[in-house]
Amino acid sequence: MFGWKWVRCSAFLGSAALAIAALSASASGARAEDVIRFGAPLPLTGPLAPEGIKQKQGYDLWAEQANKAGGISVGGKKYKVEIVYSDYQSNTPRAVQTTEQMITQDNVNFMFGAFGSGAAKAASTISEKYKVPTIAAAASSSQVYDQGYKYFFGTFTPNDTLTTPLTKIIKDKAPDVKKVAILARNDLFPLAIAQEEEKSAKANGFDVVYFEKYAIGTLDFSAVLSQMKSLSPQWIFVTGYVNDLLLVRKQMVDQQMKAPVVTMIAGPAYQDFIDSAGKSAENLTSASWWHPAEEYQGKDVFGSTSNFVKLFRAKYHSEPDYGQASASVSGALFQLAIEKANSLDRDKVRDALANMNTVTFWGPVRFGANGQINSLEPPVFQIQNAKAVVLFPDAIKQGDLKLGVE
Amino acid sequence: MWVAQVLVNALVLGCLYACISIGFSLVWGVLNVINLIHGSFIVLGSYLAFGLYQSMSISPWYALIVAAPLFFVFGYLLQLLLLNRVINAPVLVTLTLTFGLDLILNNAMIYFFKADYRKLTLNPPMGSLSLFGVVVPVDRLIATVAALALTGLLYLLLRRLRVGRAIVAVRLDRDAAVLMGVNVKSIHAIAFGLGAALAGCAGVLMALIYPISPLTSSTFLGKAFVVCVLGGLGSVSGALAGGLLLALVEGVGTTFLGPEYATTLSFILLIIFLIVRPQGLLGRKGFE
Repeated sequence: MFGWKWVRCSAFLGSAALAIAALSASASGARAEDVIRFGAPLPLTGPLAPEGIKQKQGYDLWAEQANKAGGISVGGKKYKVEIVYSDYQSNTPRAVQTTEQMITQDNVNFMFGAFGSGAAKAASTISEKYKVPTIAAAASSSQVYDQGYKYFFGTFTPNDTLTTPLTKIIKDKAPDVKKVAILARNDLFPLAIAQEEEKSAKANGFDVVYFEKYAIGTLDFSAVLSQMKSLSPQWIFVTGYVNDLLLVRKQMVDQQMKAPVVTMIAGPAYQDFIDSAGKSAENLTSASWWHPAEEYQGKDVFGSTSNFVKLFRAKYHSEPDYGQASASVSGALFQLAIEKANSLDRDKVRDALANMNTVTFWGPVRFGANGQINSLEPPVFQIQNAKAVVLFPDAIKQGDLKLGVE
Repeated sequence: MWVAQVLVNALVLGCLYACISIGFSLVWGVLNVINLIHGSFIVLGSYLAFGLYQSMSISPWYALIVAAPLFFVFGYLLQLLLLNRVINAPVLVTLTLTFGLDLILNNAMIYFFKADYRKLTLNPPMGSLSLFGVVVPVDRLIATVAALALTGLLYLLLRRLRVGRAIVAVRLDRDAAVLMGVNVKSIHAIAFGLGAALAGCAGVLMALIYPISPLTSSTFLGKAFVVCVLGGLGSVSGALAGGLLLALVEGVGTTFLGPEYATTLSFILLIIFLIVRPQGLLGRKGFE
């Protein structure tokens, strides 16, 4: 009798366990099906951490907005967005490693590129091998896109698209400006921009009287500026990051250096530069891939540039810059492509990205055969009355170039 | 004319470098501790000046009065409670401890103040003085005078005051100082406190000149290191001499070879000094 009861009891327990197992399996099955996973390798610690954290803000904002709207629709069903992050500690080989791990172990559906041209190029080899569509949110150098890859896309146009329109505007609006002095931070992106500027200045008939590089971590520019001042350039073009450019600008004021045109890349694109430089930021010109002062009506989840800026401010209580906006638009582009393909099949989504022709809050988006965006006209802007005013492209122009930086 | 400008720039910059380095030199000279928190102390001093000016419009000159005792107490306690425990251990142990403390302080600053660059801009700005076409920014001039004053004060303190003589005595011969009744632990704490106070004051002055961010601490530390080796460890006037030499080499290097090579040149100079004159320009055993 006892034995029979035991058998019945264990049979019951067994079937209950099976039922629970089956339920949880179906539940996890449902979870896996209703979620689209995006892999984002980022430098969240180490020297690139400030940029990595900004990029994460952009992805998070997009994921939040996409999920708030119900998710991404595929075949009449809504899928939630989930972003899988990994910290590659500002170490490029680790970015490659972690990209492979995300694809093979975390089973992500799609990938975002690693930060910067170097790391993005290195990691793209892995996503290409596994045929995972990847959008790089911070890679501009054309060398990243010359590998003949089919699954790799980028939201930054080549560096010369920043310098050429700026040079043309100055040639047109300030015909007296002839002598250009260029000072570049000896670092991948700032140096590349300075070299592009040298090329476009020469091509447009300017006389480049000074071209020098300064070392990373330079604490004093007085000797450089004294030398530059003795050449009396009419256009001073300096590249670097916020700290360098704040110091250069301060020391220019200290040394009473004035010029009709002063351009700084990439400082004035960041609100903390404008706040910190105060009055000395007035009439500085700059260019970047995107600026919150632009206005585009887009077909993406954010709708318009001003709406994106509003949502960003509400979430982070600060002004977005091109890094954060590029991360958000990368997500929004995946969303558009997946909905267009109406499938999660990687090849179909890849084709939808390759054939994309749309407008977003970031600007018009079309990718060239190499995967790099070729539709975007990066804005040239000037700080006027402590605000950035767009000078180019004409479609979204807000004001004219003002001469005189004191 | 611009050659005169380059020389004046170098003179002013040299004093700024001395200002950054005096505290570091004192601690290294007296305690034989390579104080890796020094850079973060400077940045913390800058944040103090920035915070006081932004929130209560307190001028950085008054911030100096707040910073000196505050940093002295901070440094004194740090030495008394932590560093004194390992002060007799090999130099690598104290180096590791200050490295760890620097990581904590620096990351705490990143957490509380964020890594964004800030700038203390005085309203109205102090502007620049112009004499025969040579321009000198007033804020740098004041920082130069302050650096000279701090150097002078420290020199007098070490030479004239009882506590100063005790610091020198500990530096010269620790065992003999103990036999003479000097409380070595307390003297160590006072010396470290003084080093921290000097770093805090340097930070307040640097806030007027440089953008402020926890990320700049390693740059300040690097300069202090080079200046101390060039000028000579444990010598107050050595910090000044080292600062001036470094600034002059950087200025001349920038002018004739280009800014790209200025840092390279200063490190080549450092290597030459380490080989040819490891005691530095004015390095001696004591503080005379």
